[in-house]
Amino acid sequence: MISPSEDAAACPAPALTAKDFRSDLKPIWCPGCGDYGVVTALYRALAAIGRPAHEIAFVSGIGCSSRIPGYTTAYGFNSVHGRALPIAQGIKMANPELLVLVAGGDGDGFSIGGGHVPHAIRRNPDLTYLVMDNQIYGLTKGQVSPTSARGTQSPTSVYGSMEEPVNPLLYVLAYGAGFVAQGVPADMDGLTKIIEEAIRYPGFSFVNIQSPCISFGSPDNQIKNQKAKLRKLSDLGHDPTNRLRAMELAQDYGRELYTGVFYRNPNPPPTYERRIAELQGRLAAPGATGA
Amino acid sequence: MHDFIVGMAGSGGDGIVSAGESLIGAALAEGYYGILTKSFGSQIRGGESSCRLRLATQPVLNPGGTLDVAVVLNWEDFRRFGGELPVDARTLVIYEAKTKVEPTALPLGGVTPAAAVAVPMEQMALQSAGAQLAKNNVVLGLLAAWFGLPRERILAGIRKKFARKGEAVLAGNERAFAAGFEYAERTPLPAARRLAPAVPAAGPMQLTDGNELCARAALFAGCRFFGGYPITPATEIMQHLQRDIWKHGGSLLQAEDEIAGVGAAVGASFAGKKAMTATSGPGFSLKAEMLGLASVAELPLVCVDVQRGGPSTGMPTKREQSDLFAAVFSAHGDTVRPVLAPTTVADTFEVTVEAFNLAEEYQTPVIVLSDQELAQRKEIVPAIDPARFRVVDRRVPAGEELKDYRRFRFTDTGVSPLSHPGLPGGNYLAAGIEHDESGAPTANGEMHARMNDKRLHKFAPLQERRDLFVLEGEPDAAIGLISWGSVAGIALEALRQARAEGIEIKLLVPKLLYPVAVPVYRDFFAGLDRCYVVEQSHQGQLHRLIRMWADVPPEFGVLAKSGANPISPEEIVAQIRAMTRARAAAVRRH
Ligand SMILES: Cc1ncc(C[n+]2csc(CCOP(=O)(O)OP(=O)(O)O)c2C)c(N)n1
Ligand code: SF4
Repeated sequence: MISPSEDAAACPAPALTAKDFRSDLKPIWCPGCGDYGVVTALYRALAAIGRPAHEIAFVSGIGCSSRIPGYTTAYGFNSVHGRALPIAQGIKMANPELLVLVAGGDGDGFSIGGGHVPHAIRRNPDLTYLVMDNQIYGLTKGQVSPTSARGTQSPTSVYGSMEEPVNPLLYVLAYGAGFVAQGVPADMDGLTKIIEEAIRYPGFSFVNIQSPCISFGSPDNQIKNQKAKLRKLSDLGHDPTNRLRAMELAQDYGRELYTGVFYRNPNPPPTYERRIAELQGRLAAPGATGA
Repeated sequence: MHDFIVGMAGSGGDGIVSAGESLIGAALAEGYYGILTKSFGSQIRGGESSCRLRLATQPVLNPGGTLDVAVVLNWEDFRRFGGELPVDARTLVIYEAKTKVEPTALPLGGVTPAAAVAVPMEQMALQSAGAQLAKNNVVLGLLAAWFGLPRERILAGIRKKFARKGEAVLAGNERAFAAGFEYAERTPLPAARRLAPAVPAAGPMQLTDGNELCARAALFAGCRFFGGYPITPATEIMQHLQRDIWKHGGSLLQAEDEIAGVGAAVGASFAGKKAMTATSGPGFSLKAEMLGLASVAELPLVCVDVQRGGPSTGMPTKREQSDLFAAVFSAHGDTVRPVLAPTTVADTFEVTVEAFNLAEEYQTPVIVLSDQELAQRKEIVPAIDPARFRVVDRRVPAGEELKDYRRFRFTDTGVSPLSHPGLPGGNYLAAGIEHDESGAPTANGEMHARMNDKRLHKFAPLQERRDLFVLEGEPDAAIGLISWGSVAGIALEALRQARAEGIEIKLLVPKLLYPVAVPVYRDFFAGLDRCYVVEQSHQGQLHRLIRMWADVPPEFGVLAKSGANPISPEEIVAQIRAMTRARAAAVRRH
């Protein structure tokens, strides 16, 4: 196997641009879908990071948002509904040198795949998980999702949903993620920077992206409303090393639209891959055979 | 005596399984062949437990049927194992005198054994070792003296086992053994039987089980990632790998559930590593969607299903062969994935290596259907010689192939070179969504048909894999048997008995269960007019699967039983005799 680091050392690559990460596939999202903004911000963030596309593995589940890996030039894996995180962890464990990105919808990540989130976080692999949270099931045409507000009317909740929504930010903070942020396509520069920072964080990083569904999402939650509503955490003077304060702010999910970094662990603990490499090093027995 | 079967039962704390382990350890050291099976009322420790040990001077094919000797520490526990510890008029019953049962009134459901002796085992343990825990060593002493089992080897085992527990405990247990031994010498049995001296094999032997060999085979084949979730009776595969896989630069994930376990393995395979998961029925059900993903994304993956009684939680500690349909059909869509089954403990190594080879060669998930018995019975088998096995690696694109690389390119074989992240120029989109040659999603019917064809066609060479079938008996016989998995060892013994009676018969044992290799069955069925499939499932799943694909003989029957109901060589021989008579009658009529 070609080691990405050796490869990079052999020929200093020219600077990469956003275009280098755009594939030939034309997105099939509805015109006006927030996910267009997300993929554009991602191209820019990847250009800033500067790792060549073949060193990136980009895994998703199923949903409109989960189509995103195919629109990049990275090695993509558009897998099955809700299971992107386990697959991504297997990839990272198999080859820790790869830059591994994970993406999906709020249904993918917090409904069917919700059980995988705390476990990925407690292992702390160096993955970046982008959830395109549109508070609705887009692909299956508009059913209520786990992040929909109580009372949401949809084809499967015609009288209004009866459950409280999950709070992705608060959950992920409580599970112990080292990097938690929120962005919106209404603020492309901000979103680009947040994704870049998330990728740079050495450990599990989570970005909740309020990416509106123009076809089935709430009219109050569209890009034009986002512009008016959003409040940058940096403008509020929030200290992103303050986890408790971050949790307090996260309580406002669904009411306030904060963007920026809620929490960044100032002392990132060792990643899962680091611990594995240490164990492998300790146990390595030259000439050991299976039989 | 060249073949000796002893069965013992007691409560969890009686150490009966531990006594069985001591005996088979001694047998290995002495040069005997043997199989030890353990059986528990449930997975939970502390319930009733039993073991049966078959020792022989030649290789043994299965744990055997009727017991030569039954050791009963208490009757309730013994009787709970029912047909697993069968007693008949040949059996000598040794039982705890404390139970106060008269030899003439044994609770054996009307069966009169050859003899029954009440022995004060607990009392001897208390007197010699001061602890009734030492009872199992009294049993070992009795068995050693009465049946000529290797005394010094057993004692060496006891010394090794108790060395860490201190002088006093060790001495107590040695005295318990001596007490049993001397009691037996003082009290000769009505009809003395002794095991003939061992005839050690030429090469080195080892004591192992299917789960251990599966794990070792995986490492040998190059497996560098395991993802799984604990489940009886498959957990030991993960436990063995956990100790060693890191030493080979690999890694292992005890995932949050079976879906995540197989998902991580799919991810590791996508990343270029040989990957595996292992489970049993309930976990296998959860993995179904991921298996379909690996099929359509054409990613190598080995999934072991150590079958147990089902459906649902079923009977976790019992053998059943009822996951064949699930293995073949459980993922939705028009897909095929190879299903292999080992037939002996030693075979598990070979079949697991083969599973990795098929997975890598054909870029597919491969199911290994082991079963509770093969997985967990301890068996004395020849040491594995790795030089006998070839290891296949996946076709990774190189050079020209990476120019205009198309991951799912149509080729003559249906197999296209497989790149992995990190390889410049090999970038592609893997997906569960139907795709074209480049990997781009499609909903075009024509492309879907061509891709389905590619994914089916690539398995064509498996139709001729005759090396994945065992054939024994007269090639021209008119009656035949088919059997698979651990039950095949019983069918083989039955076949040999029938042939010893002068009956002409043959046996086919598939290790490749799916795709059904039609040419192999066609040749086997040629000239056969009666054939029975012997298997441990209620519906006779292999019997039905073969009928789905192959033209079968005029009389094609099945001897099938639900899990935990023993199938004995004797009843198979009875079936064979019935087939012979029916055939003779039919021939006379013509
Ligand atoms: C196991 C399984 N169940 C259900 C579906 C159908 N399904 C596909 S996407 C989806 C939900 C989509 O919502 P979300 O994950 O929020 O993503 P979005 O489409 O809104 O981006 C569902 C229910 C599926 N593909 N697989
Ligand atoms: S349905 Fe909604 S989420 Fe899906 S592509 Fe259209 S706008 Fe986007």
